[in-house]
Amino acid sequence: MHSASGVVATPELGIGTFQHWYENRHDYAREWKERTGRKIVGAFCTYVPEEIVYAGGMITVRVLGGHEPQDVTEPHIFGMYCPFCRDCLAQGLKGRYDYFDGIVLAHSCLHFRQTYDSWRLHIGAGFDYYLPMPNQVQSPHARTYYRGELAKFKAFMEEQLGRELSDADLDRGIAVINENRRLLRQIYEYRKRPNPPVTGLECMYMAITAQFVDKSEHNQALRAAIAEIEAGRDVGRGGTIRLMTVGSENDDPDFLNMAESLGATIVIDDQCAGSRSFWNELVPQADRLQAIADRYCDRPACPTKDYPERTRFPHVLGLARDWGAQGAIVIQQKFCDPHEGDIKPLREYLENTGVPTVFLEFDATNPIGPFRIRVEAFLETLRNEDLFGDDDDGLF
Amino acid sequence: MPEETKEFWRWSEKVWRDESIDWRGSRAITAGIDVGSVSSQAVILADGRLYAYHSTRTGSNSPDSARKALNGAMAGADMSQEDIRYVVGTGYGRVNVPFANRAITEIACHARGANYMVGPSVKTILDMGGQDCKVIRCDEKGKVQNFIMNDKCAAGTGRGMEVIADALGVPIEDIGRRSFEIDEEPPPVSNVCTVFAKSEATGLLKAGWSVNRVLASYCAAMAERVSSLIERMSVEPDFFITGGIAKNEGVVRRIERIIGIEAVRLPADTVLDPQIAGALGAALFAHALLKKEQKASAQA
Repeated sequence: MHSASGVVATPELGIGTFQHWYENRHDYAREWKERTGRKIVGAFCTYVPEEIVYAGGMITVRVLGGHEPQDVTEPHIFGMYCPFCRDCLAQGLKGRYDYFDGIVLAHSCLHFRQTYDSWRLHIGAGFDYYLPMPNQVQSPHARTYYRGELAKFKAFMEEQLGRELSDADLDRGIAVINENRRLLRQIYEYRKRPNPPVTGLECMYMAITAQFVDKSEHNQALRAAIAEIEAGRDVGRGGTIRLMTVGSENDDPDFLNMAESLGATIVIDDQCAGSRSFWNELVPQADRLQAIADRYCDRPACPTKDYPERTRFPHVLGLARDWGAQGAIVIQQKFCDPHEGDIKPLREYLENTGVPTVFLEFDATNPIGPFRIRVEAFLETLRNEDLFGDDDDGLF
Repeated sequence: MPEETKEFWRWSEKVWRDESIDWRGSRAITAGIDVGSVSSQAVILADGRLYAYHSTRTGSNSPDSARKALNGAMAGADMSQEDIRYVVGTGYGRVNVPFANRAITEIACHARGANYMVGPSVKTILDMGGQDCKVIRCDEKGKVQNFIMNDKCAAGTGRGMEVIADALGVPIEDIGRRSFEIDEEPPPVSNVCTVFAKSEATGLLKAGWSVNRVLASYCAAMAERVSSLIERMSVEPDFFITGGIAKNEGVVRRIERIIGIEAVRLPADTVLDPQIAGALGAALFAHALLKKEQKASAQA
């Protein structure tokens, strides 16, 4: 389905669209720019306030890795920084995101800040902005502080645009992005069914593409996906083991495909490539910037922002229970310190409340064979199939 | 004439058959095939009783290694593949056993095999394989309750021991014994990485260490690495070790020292071999699954 220009044509809107966007994300972005004449802002992590960017007629494209071996980052970022940060920087150094008009980092972890700093130094991309999103979102001062920082960011974006962003602009941005969150939640609700009408891999494609596709177009595709599901979609997932994924960034289709090929379905997640980024809607207020600040402080926390209280643990358990997860795959990007600090207590917490876990350490490319043994053995323990028989059954 | 290259890493391949059993009189011949990264085993059961097994080196092709292991176990018994009614494949090549009815992970199979070898008292199993290491907790039937595996590298596993055997020119089966022929226990080598341990070991030789002292140091490092994995799982006796390294007393006794628990040893006159635990478990599952199939078809 290649066009004369070599770009793979977009299939009819529906569940298949998201995989197409995922696999052709740079083609999509370039085509979008050409078609709309608007600008693209590279977003570092999922705390960038998209509402403000969208209000200015731009879109955010989250910087993601390429899941391929690379040899370009060694001089620019520490070897013991997480493979996701290194992979993302590699994509920049290789020119894959050469269509960015600017980049924004909303602070999360120091590893990713290094990716951003190195990007500014060695790649460059029009404007750049470091937004000091507070890590201690539980502090009573966090929301006021972040509102102030958002005002500065808004002023910066207005400078780039050469015009002011009105409340009406912000409302438009908020409406489209909130609708996206609502539609994704609706898709996730379908996964509660005993026979989920979408696979975990399909949902990963839906959630991750929301992080780089124009939200108004993404919303159209989500509505088409919902229509497809409502028409009675059956992907044969009834009777499979229901799993959840929890942990660091994970948008590895090969891994999800492998796990779901073993008689399991990923029915829910707590990951930034999935639910964590879109879970809570913005609650409108007269002070739009305060509403945005509150939304990002209230969202399900990344472990970098989850102290002194670990609010994430009951949230994860609630998801497991509501979606009927029989077990959890706990994922950590190698060297991801914030997640590593959570792994042991989180696994204990889940296991003590009846959710068995298996732990996997992710890299930029993952060894599918060794991971398959771990997942398959985990499923065997969950499945409770009688493989032992009865010695006194009178048979041989 | 070129000097013959001795392969110090090469462990003895093994074939065993119970000559007292006439398999033709059995109602159900079942088999388990464990295609591991370094070795492959086939175990044949006759009506659920251990009849024959073969342990051999894994080649570059998993289906061929599976066939080779099974042919070795059948050799001399006038048995053909068609006589086997149910086959379970296990090991990293489990999905590439072309004639298997079913694939089950080696984690489940080692627990089942250990339960057969030791009995219902076994609760913790350490499988020290060619390129990975697993600690498995199971119930009195041999059903897996929990497990943990080593990281993705082959440090501190069978392949690492083979490399050291070659590097030091010591037959692999002598390493355990020789690692105790020392005056004083040395500190463990710093590197258990298969590549770095080899260069560290040769460096120690150059620094004047005896071969036995280097062996002791390497066995101690391997035991330390594996013990940290065991301790993450919390060991409940009886504790049993399967896989090729189970036969290396130099590692086994040092693990026991670190964790403070003695591993169960099979009787000296046993025909069982801890290296066949995975294939044995697979064969036992094959036996149970065949019965299940038979019952289901009788009810239908």
